[in-house]
Amino acid sequence: MRHSTMKIRALYAACMLSLFTGPALAEVTVLGWPGGPEEVALRAAADAYNAKADLADADKVELLFFNRDGFWDKLQADLAAGSTAFDINLLATYSIGRYAPFMEPIALSDEAKAVYGDSVLATMQYQGEQYGVPTDLSLHFMYYRKDLIDALLNDDAAKAKYAEIAEKHLGKKLEPKQPDAWDWDDYTATALYFTQAVNPDSPTRYGTVLQMKNLLFNIMVWQSLPRAYGADWRDDGGKITVNSDAYRKGLEVYKLLYDAGATPRDSLSYEFAEANAAYASGQVAAMLQWNAAAGDLTSTEKSPAVAEVTDTVAPPSGPAGRFTHIHGLGFGLNKNAENKDGAVRFLKWLSSKEAALIYARNNGAPALTPEVVAEVAGERPDLVKLGEFAGKYGYVMNGGTSAKALSVYELQAKEFTGYWSGQQSLDDALANTEKGMADLLKE
Amino acid sequence: MIAALRWAVFAIAALALNFPILVTLSTSFKSARELSANPGLWVWSPTLENYLAVFQVSERLNIFLYLFNSLAVSLIGTGLAVALALPAAYAIARGRLGERTLLPLIVNLRAVPLIIFAIPLYMMFQWLSLLDTRIGLGLILAIVNLPLALVILVNAVNDVPPELDEAALMDGASRTQILVRVLAPVCRPAIVTSLIFGFITAWNEFLFGLMLTTSKAVPITVGASFFFAASGGGVQWGVASAVMIVGALPPVLLGLVMYRQISGSMTAGAIKG
Amino acid sequence: MTTRRKIEISEFRILAAPLVAFLVLFLGFPAVVNLVYSVSEVSFETLRRPALSGFGNFAAVLGDAAFWRASWFSFRFGLLTAVIECGLGLFLAIFLSPLIEKRSWLLAILMMPLMVAPALVGLMYRLVLHEFVGPVPYYLWAYLGASISFLGAGSAFWTLVAIETLQWTPFALLLFYMAYQAIPAEVNEAATLDGAGGLQRLRHIELPLMRPTIVVALLIRFIDGFRVFDNVYVLTGSGPGGSTASLSIYIYEAFFKQGAIGKAVAASVILFAVSFAVLYGLNAIAARRKGKGR
Repeated sequence: MRHSTMKIRALYAACMLSLFTGPALAEVTVLGWPGGPEEVALRAAADAYNAKADLADADKVELLFFNRDGFWDKLQADLAAGSTAFDINLLATYSIGRYAPFMEPIALSDEAKAVYGDSVLATMQYQGEQYGVPTDLSLHFMYYRKDLIDALLNDDAAKAKYAEIAEKHLGKKLEPKQPDAWDWDDYTATALYFTQAVNPDSPTRYGTVLQMKNLLFNIMVWQSLPRAYGADWRDDGGKITVNSDAYRKGLEVYKLLYDAGATPRDSLSYEFAEANAAYASGQVAAMLQWNAAAGDLTSTEKSPAVAEVTDTVAPPSGPAGRFTHIHGLGFGLNKNAENKDGAVRFLKWLSSKEAALIYARNNGAPALTPEVVAEVAGERPDLVKLGEFAGKYGYVMNGGTSAKALSVYELQAKEFTGYWSGQQSLDDALANTEKGMADLLKE
Repeated sequence: MIAALRWAVFAIAALALNFPILVTLSTSFKSARELSANPGLWVWSPTLENYLAVFQVSERLNIFLYLFNSLAVSLIGTGLAVALALPAAYAIARGRLGERTLLPLIVNLRAVPLIIFAIPLYMMFQWLSLLDTRIGLGLILAIVNLPLALVILVNAVNDVPPELDEAALMDGASRTQILVRVLAPVCRPAIVTSLIFGFITAWNEFLFGLMLTTSKAVPITVGASFFFAASGGGVQWGVASAVMIVGALPPVLLGLVMYRQISGSMTAGAIKG
Repeated sequence: MTTRRKIEISEFRILAAPLVAFLVLFLGFPAVVNLVYSVSEVSFETLRRPALSGFGNFAAVLGDAAFWRASWFSFRFGLLTAVIECGLGLFLAIFLSPLIEKRSWLLAILMMPLMVAPALVGLMYRLVLHEFVGPVPYYLWAYLGASISFLGAGSAFWTLVAIETLQWTPFALLLFYMAYQAIPAEVNEAATLDGAGGLQRLRHIELPLMRPTIVVALLIRFIDGFRVFDNVYVLTGSGPGGSTASLSIYIYEAFFKQGAIGKAVAASVILFAVSFAVLYGLNAIAARRKGKGR
């Protein structure tokens, strides 16, 4: 009895104390991406930096986080109003044009080029100026069930069934292949084969899971498909090129899979979390998903049903090649920063090899050059794949870093989901997108 | 017989209305592993790990601070709204003052997404140094709460027989005295109702909390996702559920105390008789 | 009489003054800024120096099919949820009042859905309705062998209506319960002595006495349904092709996602003007009725 009162009192004291001890006074405030591995990595980097003996107290780093929902909207309001609440803020490739007017270009360390390579540094550039340190890279993997694919490849009856389904839905007989050799037709045929609505003997309910919610990130996942057929936002002359066969093909493949029941019927409301949950349940054979899902989907703790039989490759190829969307998250300098010198100093250090390795060892996902990534390959084999895919298959759409890039994704999300859900024709969707993009991207 | 039917209806209503909460409660006791294997309501091996994660105070995560902030801003936002609305409701209902324009104008504030005021308010708050303060957020929540408080209170004052304050007026009481001594006690259920609804609205507000705070005055709705966000836009459902349960407790407890004030047959007979 | 009336009015003015002063102080400046924005060419970069551009923003909004679609969604959603919530709430308030009178904690159980932030409720439903990890589809599969597509293009609207209704019926219930309790016992006793049965009392005495509250509840629930944001935004966003965008979502996305501040504010001004006209009209009708009644 007495013991429990003591405990309650101690808890109470802890609560009261915690109310009044705010964050310690710090001099360089960094606004980071809340939750998840990005935060763990940034925290480790900041701790290492603050522990440096030659660092003045006035230049120590303090971290700040907002809510994840609405993060970019709040950041927009803060920057536009000239907030001084942070000196360094997060930015992303697709929103760099939106935030650059409120930020200042920075100088990276001399090692940056050797650590990240030009193509990755470019994800943080706007109009030829470097605006950020590219700390995390996002791209897509094809996650697939190797147990199911192997079984298919070793079963002649199944192969015949596969060929039959391919002929019926795609108009040509196809042979099952290893996923690393897939083109998008192979992907489509496999997705249909592993769908119970198409093939009642399928071991999984669905062949794939598509993220089709009206959300800009879902367009990023999807667009590697039309890209493999040569899609781009505009040509070098600035003409909008979405009303093309490549976009048509990409949109039709999703529509075909959705209508055939190869993806859950609620896919029109699916995003990252929903797709992962569907895949983790063991009822899906393959899906295209962000690299960030790899941790959860290969953890026997979090995804016991699929962790040990899941493998990843780069997305399928097409006539124009093999592609994965890439974008970077990184840190740059607020134009209204109160401690600019300190902030610049931290950013310079953050772009050094020492910082990149700390960041990589603590759950971060930096895309490093082969020489540098070799140093952490033992601990982070996934980073090797990340760097390799980014270098070989990474692309950014022409206009993908412009001031209105985010709005272009929003527009595409709205129009394309309208087509997938059967509310408008493919022609209308493409025409509306073309018209809207012409307005958004005019110089 | 009829009593049994009433209980049956109550049970069905309670279950149906609270279904999402029951799911949340059940989910909050599931481990990440169980979540992906067991979608049912029954928990196989209950764990407290989600709650431990929520109550873990660190340099950055501090649920007690978020709860305290929410409590403070909700009390300011609710108390102020009712304090301003009650005299105004009296003037509108009895004096027929502003019934035509002021009342619809204020009620209208509820219809418009107030977020369009976010940018000018942000700049104003910056100038007044109210950004990231509990007072600042509380003031905005008072605006959010005003329309509902005013409608409920005008409705309540209208329900009070005019003879009651006429009589007090004859005795020489001023309008302010009548408001405090006669109307406020008579309208107590309505005042309590506006306080409850106001508190709930303020407690659950998200967008202004997000826009106008950064670290010191972060309310629980905004602080919540600090705990359960996972990489790439994922959600840790177990922790999210635990945060929701913890975040809903204060208004539930407040409600338990307050419902007594409006439950039972109270003084209704005495007032209107 | 006239002097007394004058004194009264000045007394009432003093009572209403704090509210007016507060609103002028805190919304006056934002309202003026927004009015300027609504007739300006303005973006996040030019917040402090908007360029006046006439009524182009208003024309853009009125010519935008998405605006009309969002208005229709909001109207339909508001009306449906208000009517269902008030109908259910009224039934429960009256039918359960004998139970609640004796045990106020029963009310607390029914009020619980209100205590959870709508944004979090939306988040939770992403789990609840998920085909593989959600309990609802799980039990449907287990007992019926099939599940419904809750958030497909055809069903999303109704699912959202159901979610909104489940959360906010308690709101109507509480208002009605309070009004029901406020009916003087003497009125009912007198009617019972005159031989009126329960249903007759309900129809001829109780419901008419509760009418003002029913009107208020319908109005509030309609407005809240009309401006729905959080739960819908979290659950379906603006929906495939914009099919579940409420007017609030339309305005929010115009504001933040498209950076079309002028357009977003112009849409709000239109919304404000229209709803003011409607409320003003309703008020005038009510006042005339009241005048006749006296």
